[in-house]
Amino acid sequence: MMRGSAWGIVTFVGVVSVLVACDQTASAHDDKKSESPDAATLAERARQFEKQLAAPDSESKLGGAVARWIMPDKLKEISGLTLTADGRLLGHGDQHAHVFELDYRRGVLVKEFTLVSGGEPVKGDFEGITTANGSIFLFTSDGKLYEFKEGADGAKLAYTMTDTHLGEHCEFEGVAFDKTINSLLFACKKVKDKKDKEFLVMYRWKLGDESASRVSKLTVPMEDVIGKNEWDGFHSSDITINPFNGDYVLVASRESALLEITPGGKVVFSQPLPGVHAQAEGIVITKDSLLIIGDEAAAKNAKPDLHPHRVPDDSVHRPAYVTVYRWP
Amino acid sequence: MGIFKRLIDFVTLGSARPMRRLLAYYAVLAIVVYLIYRFIPAADRLMSAEGERGTMAKASQAGAKLFQDGLNTAPTTLFAPGRQNRAEHAMATLLVFFSTLALMLPVSWVYMSARRDRTHNQSVAQTLIVLPMIVAGVILIVRDSLALAFSLAGVVAAVRFRTSLSDARDVVFIFLAIAVGFAAGTQVLSVAAIVSLLFNFVLVLIWQYDFGRNVLEPTAAAQWESPLKELTGKTIEGPNVPDRDLMLALTPKKVDILTARFKRVQALVGRNGAKPRYNAVLSVSTNSISESKGHIESVLDRVAKRWKLDEVVTNTEKASELFYLVRLKKAVAKGDALTAIREHAGTLFEAVDLEVGEAVEQEQLAEKSLRKQREKALIQ
Repeated sequence: MMRGSAWGIVTFVGVVSVLVACDQTASAHDDKKSESPDAATLAERARQFEKQLAAPDSESKLGGAVARWIMPDKLKEISGLTLTADGRLLGHGDQHAHVFELDYRRGVLVKEFTLVSGGEPVKGDFEGITTANGSIFLFTSDGKLYEFKEGADGAKLAYTMTDTHLGEHCEFEGVAFDKTINSLLFACKKVKDKKDKEFLVMYRWKLGDESASRVSKLTVPMEDVIGKNEWDGFHSSDITINPFNGDYVLVASRESALLEITPGGKVVFSQPLPGVHAQAEGIVITKDSLLIIGDEAAAKNAKPDLHPHRVPDDSVHRPAYVTVYRWP
Repeated sequence: MGIFKRLIDFVTLGSARPMRRLLAYYAVLAIVVYLIYRFIPAADRLMSAEGERGTMAKASQAGAKLFQDGLNTAPTTLFAPGRQNRAEHAMATLLVFFSTLALMLPVSWVYMSARRDRTHNQSVAQTLIVLPMIVAGVILIVRDSLALAFSLAGVVAAVRFRTSLSDARDVVFIFLAIAVGFAAGTQVLSVAAIVSLLFNFVLVLIWQYDFGRNVLEPTAAAQWESPLKELTGKTIEGPNVPDRDLMLALTPKKVDILTARFKRVQALVGRNGAKPRYNAVLSVSTNSISESKGHIESVLDRVAKRWKLDEVVTNTEKASELFYLVRLKKAVAKGDALTAIREHAGTLFEAVDLEVGEAVEQEQLAEKSLRKQREKALIQ
């Protein structure tokens, strides 16, 4: 019995080892493909990007997209997007204070860093990111503002957290920096004050001002925002500044909509997003006229009509992606 | 198949032991799978669920630095439902089927071999090969579609399956076939492999060591162990039942009979201090005595150090019985001997059993324990 059992155990261990080895071999193949982007691939991608950018609209795919990069699993909860002063694209995760830099022209994850507290990544419902005066700000849905400096790849960073106490008025989902008034703009997705129900609401938060007047509110009548569109509202999911005129550009995931308003609150346009977006959570406009939209991996609430023969079950079926369009 | 059999013969050095042959099969299979994974990286994608879901899932793997191009290369199911790569689909399905076949072959061998009763059910043996393929095919189609799952339930409900299986073990085998089919269909072949391997391993062990035998119906050896011990003495030194009690119980005639009988037994067991001449009884039920004898004896020549036909019980309305006294070779296990006999005779036997006596081993153990107790007492 002992001899038979020993044989069995040895073979069982052997078979399991082979399975593990297979897994590692497969992973090694994957890693080879995904971890080390070679120069030729990158050059080809840059060339393809320029070619797509130069192509007439009639030849473009996905509603005029210049590029679409599918995010790996660890970036599936990509939420907000922002640009650094030198034009690099930053994004962040939804559940953790995890920030990453994306090369949107070649589709490469350049670096990533994390805010930590007590050695552990900071958890929260992070909904927006922006850069201002050399700092990076992460904003949560309940109005907490995390300020920190940009880190190197893999860095674990310290931060300063400020509670704006605006969470009692709004559920936020987006932040941007208006340098003309040195203020952060907080886009409100869902208002809590009844009197604001018929308005699109934003708050301004003046940096470097400790007085009570640092907070101001901008409201835009919802009927102006909706215009001729058949929306039942406008639930902002991110906000950015139009670098060409200083207007505020907002995206709404639920309505799959795009809105531009002046800093004074006048609607410039409101229209559906170009292409198809399952869950647009981030938006930026670059100085070289590109509109970049980030979509979180769509989960159970994704629209089944996009995939009619199957019921959506998990995010693996609809990965997160970043799409680049021409602007305007 | 011939090449594969020769390969297994080579790996097992021609051993007929079922355990070794099984393990050799799995080892060869594991090596083949590893080589496929090593030299055909695409196999990994096809064998996992990714082949069907396009390359999107690949890009979703953690750790990727280079993002997948969703504009120029992705056959995104999001925007082009139904546009899946048919060739990949077909290849993945073929791989799943071949894997199922490879994993179920040893199960069917075990089903056919590792059993005590007369013959196996051939339709079950064939079902074991085909059923998991069908299950895997169905799962591949249904996948994560709730609508298709409901449709399948409806279709299955419309068909009545009323085959009853006589042996509970057959049901277990069918369940295993379904489990392997499910695992293969969901392209989790590692689970299918482990299930198949462990199932066979456990089943062969259970069969080999006759697990589950009714302890209330002891073997012949165990049945006589206690009264004989009473007569000969627990400690070997002296009898527990005094001679005067036997004198009262026996007549001179009975003593003569017993004396003659024990002399015959002594001739079979051998002298004190030597190894027993025979230590096992092989019993075979068969309807063809002469043909069976030929088969049994040619195998016994190989597996036994010595053997002797002890008795032939001829029955008219049921199978006749042959009893052999056997002393197995040291290197031959009970299960191996049984397998060799069954394989040699095919379906000729109704039942075969080999009962191995352990009286000598038990006596040696008892003596050893007694010696230790004495030594301990002397030291104290």
